[in-house]
Amino acid sequence: MKTKKFSIGKLLLLLIGIIAALLYLSPVLILVNSSFKTLKEIYLNILALPETLSFANYSAAFAALDFGQTFLNSVVITVTSTILILLVSSMAAWALARYKTKTSKVLFMIFASAQLIPFQCVMLPLVDFMDKLHLMNRPGLIFMYVGFGCSMSIVLFHGFISNVPKELEEAATIDGCNLFQTFFKIVLPLLKTILVTVAILEVMWIWNDFLLPQLVINKTGWQTLPLKTYLFFGQFTKKWDLATAGLVLCMLPIVIFYLLCQKHIVKGVTEGAVK
Amino acid sequence: MKKPKWGFWAFTGPALFAFLIVQVIPTLMGIYYSFTDWSGVGANKNFVGLKNYITVFTNDPKFFHAFWFTFAFAICAVIGINVVGFALALLVTQKFRGANLMRGIFFMPNLIGGILLGFTWQFIFVQVFSALGKTFGIPALMGWLSNMQTGFAGLLIVQIWQLSGYMMIIYIAQLQSIPDSVLEAASLDGAVGFARLRTIVMPLMMPAFTIGLFLSISNTFKLFDQNVALTNGGPANSTQMIALNIYNTAFAENSFGLAQSKAVIFMIVVAVISLIQLNVTKSKEVEM
Amino acid sequence: MVKRTKTILAAAVTAAAAGCIAMPVSAEQAKVDIFQNKSEFAEQLQAAAELYMESHPDVTINVESVQGGDYSTSLNAKLLQEDGPEIFGAELTDMAGSFKDLLEDLSDQPWVDAMSDEIKSNCSVDGKVLAIPVSVEGYGLVYNKEIFEAAGIDASTLTSYDAIDEAFASLQEKIDNGELADQFPVLEAVEEYAAKETWLPGYHTVNVALQAELGDAPTALVTPEIELTYADGLKDLFDLLTKYTAYRDNLSMINAVDYATQIGGGLAIERVAVVQQGNWIAPEMQNIAPDVAEKLDILPIPLKGTTEDSIAVGVSVTWGVNANSSDVDKAAAKDFLNWLFQSDEGKQIVVNEMGCIPAFNNYDGIEITEPLSAAVKRYMDEGKTMGWTMSGWPSGFEPVSAAEFQAYLGGDMTWDECVEAVKNDWASLR
Repeated sequence: MKTKKFSIGKLLLLLIGIIAALLYLSPVLILVNSSFKTLKEIYLNILALPETLSFANYSAAFAALDFGQTFLNSVVITVTSTILILLVSSMAAWALARYKTKTSKVLFMIFASAQLIPFQCVMLPLVDFMDKLHLMNRPGLIFMYVGFGCSMSIVLFHGFISNVPKELEEAATIDGCNLFQTFFKIVLPLLKTILVTVAILEVMWIWNDFLLPQLVINKTGWQTLPLKTYLFFGQFTKKWDLATAGLVLCMLPIVIFYLLCQKHIVKGVTEGAVK
Repeated sequence: MKKPKWGFWAFTGPALFAFLIVQVIPTLMGIYYSFTDWSGVGANKNFVGLKNYITVFTNDPKFFHAFWFTFAFAICAVIGINVVGFALALLVTQKFRGANLMRGIFFMPNLIGGILLGFTWQFIFVQVFSALGKTFGIPALMGWLSNMQTGFAGLLIVQIWQLSGYMMIIYIAQLQSIPDSVLEAASLDGAVGFARLRTIVMPLMMPAFTIGLFLSISNTFKLFDQNVALTNGGPANSTQMIALNIYNTAFAENSFGLAQSKAVIFMIVVAVISLIQLNVTKSKEVEM
Repeated sequence: MVKRTKTILAAAVTAAAAGCIAMPVSAEQAKVDIFQNKSEFAEQLQAAAELYMESHPDVTINVESVQGGDYSTSLNAKLLQEDGPEIFGAELTDMAGSFKDLLEDLSDQPWVDAMSDEIKSNCSVDGKVLAIPVSVEGYGLVYNKEIFEAAGIDASTLTSYDAIDEAFASLQEKIDNGELADQFPVLEAVEEYAAKETWLPGYHTVNVALQAELGDAPTALVTPEIELTYADGLKDLFDLLTKYTAYRDNLSMINAVDYATQIGGGLAIERVAVVQQGNWIAPEMQNIAPDVAEKLDILPIPLKGTTEDSIAVGVSVTWGVNANSSDVDKAAAKDFLNWLFQSDEGKQIVVNEMGCIPAFNNYDGIEITEPLSAAVKRYMDEGKTMGWTMSGWPSGFEPVSAAEFQAYLGGDMTWDECVEAVKNDWASLR
């Protein structure tokens, strides 16, 4: 609170913020509240507080999800895919932004327009093709995430590379850096804010994705958290009590990850350049 | 400063390779299927020429309803998502206690998907809304999701709730890249602040707006999960969007060829819209 | 490879140690992937598979269960792959249509003779048995016996449309007067109807009229156009199903009612006394309110002027064997199915663990204890059943026809328009 002294404007902002936060939070609170209740309590009155504070749903969900193993599966797939996406997309975006040729322009447009294809439309041909390449397994899934994730990431990186001063790169080249050295030593550190931002968006997507892993790796021992969570829903039986507890278990790591990442987002480009 | 030509391919190569195999080739296969009568199972595919396209244009009023519904929805949603998302980003980058916590809160809706999303919002719209309507005597709050209008509004609320936090993250990244001195000058205290916001901050935000608009347009047009979870297209298909229409054609009616031809038409239309948007907003970007 | 050799070695050693005559150890390990959409009995099926594997070390069985729309999507994707599932769910429409070349002929299997002709016809195309019937299901008007008793209604007399109508009316009156409020504080209406779920109006309800017109699924399969001869009866049925709900004064709101509201938020908490559902709701009811689950029974689902004292019963789950799998895998798959549905051990699992009503007539002495399944069996034994034509409908008929009925319930269509639209839907999807 070093910047300004107390003012009506600030108070008003805070008030708006609190109201908005409550509105945003209320559906989440309903789910969290439900995770402490029995099924019958949920159906009798979903808003009522639980009669007793019991973690029974959590221990049942923890066991049903085989949480340790499943969590690890999710982490491995999410982390590997995200790192690869960040690497290949930032490289490609930089080249696409810096080489102002016709090819570069067309390629960027193709990457961007891939954003527009509904997944349901490429799904069957994709499975068909991946099966022929023997990629219906975990490395294959990671490869598919890179293929799907890179298009959006490139669009994001491309937009933000315009903030990076070209002069630094040129200076580095004059100092005798080759392209790779220039990119990894000069450009990449300057992209820290957007790297973290893209990482958050990709992690969120991959962590929660259901359809792709369901098609590719739905085998005992390989399952990720969304796949296992899905088993709480039968055709005619829905275990909301366990599912809501499972949701909280799946959400917490990502929320913590996001809060940790925030530290790296608050600093601007100028500071990154000093490093 | 001229860069060597090999550099371009060395840097774009890895992404291009994965992209080609995972997205481009399956898409091209899909386009080919749009000229066949493939059912989605088995190997029987007969080339039928433009038959599927003719069917779509002459004998599929539901597809066109889905198209207009999606279009109207996209206009409202894209505006809503970006206005709210940018407002949230401005709010949480102000310096007050609790701003960081709020970021976390606005981001959370993104983590709730599928069946659980439908479960919560079904309850909020159907039960909480009608209880509020009864208590305060507002008939407009009764009977949500039971007709097209409230289905539309419900989808819109859920979409803004989910995606505004997503856009907020992108806008925060751009706001952070604007030097502190500029932001200080454009502090939100009083009317002067708003004027500065408009003249100083907004132009510097253009690259992020380009991306934000582009992503929200494509995500909204492709909307599928929320559509299934909330209304499943009902009642009477009135809230069925294009992705769900295509999906049902492919997997409920086993007409994969027909579904692919709809997808191709859809892709062309959305591509035209997005490319126009990209060109318009890119031209407004200023170099720092 | 190492693992396989080890297994074979272990099997050989065990056999030798037991002093048996050298067991014929198959050199080839068989794999059976089961892909099915009843997550309800996923665990029980897996447990059965493990039991089978204990005595068959050369077979590996994987059960994969996915529900709802994701099932058909994933199945399509899986069948494209070289190494697809050995056993998967296949309806009659699929057997005759897109799955035709993918299904193994099972006519020579031992369980074929244990099927009634009617059930056999639901698993066969062109005289060839292409699937095994896993479970029979039945639906009618599921009701809470205790509430009916408290209201002084004798449910055994409710065997006609008018009798049911009158009973519901008098029950609604008692609820409105507050006469039952002490015993059932949450009770607010006789019925709940989940019109939002396409499979309620567009599948189970409409079948009541279509089965009267078409008879059975094989006939439905070859019917190019429907007349909806029993449209009046169907209208009366919709009327009966909706006019004692909490939305009777503003019926369009019923289109927002989903399955969770109908069962969990309705029948299970005793907010309502009657729902149009079948024995498949039993596990859900037991999860939420085991006490209420024990109070349930089934009333007829009446088609006025035609069949008023029956419930609809049919084979709802059928599994086929993948014709493209290797011979070893196919043989193992068939052997597992035969063990599960015909051995004494398997029969117990099918009925008591998986909760299925058996589709075979050689399950004597295995008692069904769950009240709703027992009720379905009772109607079957009394011969008071109507047909199950759904598996012969054109693909995609359910969501499309449901949309027409929703439009009617919402007041956007007259009944006549609705009937015309449903007829057109059938013809254009066929």
